[in-house]
Amino acid sequence: MNELIGSIIILTGSVFLFSAGLGILRMPDAYNRIQAGTKATTLGTMMVLLGLAVLHPAWTWKLLILVFFVLLTNPVSSHALARAAHRIHTPEADSTVIDQLEEEEQEEARAAAEGTNT
Amino acid sequence: MIKRMLIMLTLLLTAAIFARLVLNYGEHQELGKLGAHYASQGPAELGAPNLVTAVVVTYRGLDTLGEVTVLFISAAGVGVMLRRRKQVPDDNEARKPSSEIVVTAAQLLLPMIFLFGIYVFVNGHLSPGGGFQGGAIIAAGSLLLLLALPQAEMRHRLISITESLSGFSYVVVGLLGVILAGGFLDNRIMSLGTYGSLFSAGAIPIIYTLIGLKVGSELSAVLDRFRQSD
Repeated sequence: MNELIGSIIILTGSVFLFSAGLGILRMPDAYNRIQAGTKATTLGTMMVLLGLAVLHPAWTWKLLILVFFVLLTNPVSSHALARAAHRIHTPEADSTVIDQLEEEEQEEARAAAEGTNT
Repeated sequence: MIKRMLIMLTLLLTAAIFARLVLNYGEHQELGKLGAHYASQGPAELGAPNLVTAVVVTYRGLDTLGEVTVLFISAAGVGVMLRRRKQVPDDNEARKPSSEIVVTAAQLLLPMIFLFGIYVFVNGHLSPGGGFQGGAIIAAGSLLLLLALPQAEMRHRLISITESLSGFSYVVVGLLGVILAGGFLDNRIMSLGTYGSLFSAGAIPIIYTLIGLKVGSELSAVLDRFRQSD
């Protein structure tokens, strides 16, 4: 029974990992690819590790540490990547509607300019 | 045309060389004489459950010293090639600080990475890993520090003292092996302890700790030099 449950969880996780790979191929620009590759791989990796924990209960604590590590590093590293891409002005897809980081930076620049004027 | 012919000829010659290797390949069914000796006598002689460590640190300890020396020479070479610029450039202003998320995560992760590196080289005689691997993990932590917190300064004096002291102590431990036990880097200068526990296998944990410290500080210094000469 445990074997079946664990295998199903791992399989579900690998479906998410597959969709991450698909997203990296199909998404229109760098930012969309980053977010496809991050969200789906975080969940997919977590599900694979949890499925392994069901299969081998003795490994549970080690696997939980791994889950924690993935949960901490994966989003942060893709955040840093996306910021770096934004800083070197990687082009966005044509269908992009809103760029809040750009707006915020312009706001900051304007506030700084006003601060020096007065 | 001639170019294409030459490429074909080269490919055929390469294939001929490797064909001999592939056709004559037979898997070894049993250990060679030396390997059998290491495998059967190693655990009893040296008290290290991880045989790879026993071979690398003790039986072939002199080779490991050579590897450490090669690493030291390459680090020194990097230091010579990438000489530090004299005037400190004011690129700290141009360089935007990392975002809050990156800084927080790096501060959370750094101690964990360093701890893991230390774990790897302290447990080198029990589990896979060892001085070089642990040192490389520590250097990866320093790389994270350099990337995520560019304003942070490394303490060069401390790093070079650690590196020199650990390298020196490594050789001293090796020479102690000549004086007190069977030969250079013999680990039986201390009691072998309980087989499989953390403080066992004689001097192997000490040697691996020294190698780990040396490799870690050396690679960190190399990374820092690359940063300063960008």
